[in-house]
Amino acid sequence: MSVQEAGAESAHDAERATDLLVTVAATLNDRLAVTARELARSQDVLREASGELLTAFRGAADRIVAAQKSAPAPDPGGAELEVVLSHLYRAVQHIQSHDLVNQLIDAQKLRVGKMREKLEQALALAQPPVATNAAPQFWIERSRAMLDCIVAGIAQIDEEARAPRSDRQHAGSVDLF
Amino acid sequence: MKTILAVDDSATMREMVAFVLESAGYRVIEAEDGAQGLDRASHTPVDLVITDQNMPNMDGLTLVRSLRELRDYKSTPILLLTTESSDSMKQQGRAAGATGWLVKPFDPATLLEVVGKVLR
Repeated sequence: MSVQEAGAESAHDAERATDLLVTVAATLNDRLAVTARELARSQDVLREASGELLTAFRGAADRIVAAQKSAPAPDPGGAELEVVLSHLYRAVQHIQSHDLVNQLIDAQKLRVGKMREKLEQALALAQPPVATNAAPQFWIERSRAMLDCIVAGIAQIDEEARAPRSDRQHAGSVDLF
Repeated sequence: MKTILAVDDSATMREMVAFVLESAGYRVIEAEDGAQGLDRASHTPVDLVITDQNMPNMDGLTLVRSLRELRDYKSTPILLLTTESSDSMKQQGRAAGATGWLVKPFDPATLLEVVGKVLR
């Protein structure tokens, strides 16, 4: 094989590697787009349910606060009010869980968004047309740059995303120093 | 009436804390991050601070350290109310000068018990 033929084959291999990276980046990006849509839909449903729950909670909370204020001084709570208050306190715990799940979805949306940003950068690198006689080195550099973007995108999985980290085991625990 | 500053970037969380405390007769003022909390506490004397840890602008531990540098807040109780539950974070809280650490989601009765205890 002549030097010229070997060079052409290397360029062809490097071009195929770039095509493969484009396929990987595009496939990952498409899958993540689906995930992003599902997260957004889940959050919409949760937001709507939380909104309704909060409205109901506020209605009851306002009534009980008003009732507490108007109750006779020696027994400002009243047995009945105490019972209603205990139900509202239980609601407080569940509303917090809604809020935490909402924050968790926010964090995952942010993470998926950052991954997609990197993958789109990789795909953008593959956009400019290349001359048919481009040197193998050109293709190799392009492949490396794309691979760096894809790896950076995948690395976002491990990035800090300010997600709530509460677990059932420790929820509600108290430490006084 | 005792005044409590509730600091959290979640409006829902602030509302829940405020409802529980107000239903027990406390006055509550709110702030949505550490920086705003520090500003509120500097202008309005408070008897207790309850703060989240992970917030934009200024986190809870930084708020605790900043408050402890103020003459009026050397001994004011400060509680962290957060989803963070690791021992290392709690130790950082203790070192910063926090009075206690509560993990979300909180139980209203427990919160009131702790608040009553630290305000005694």
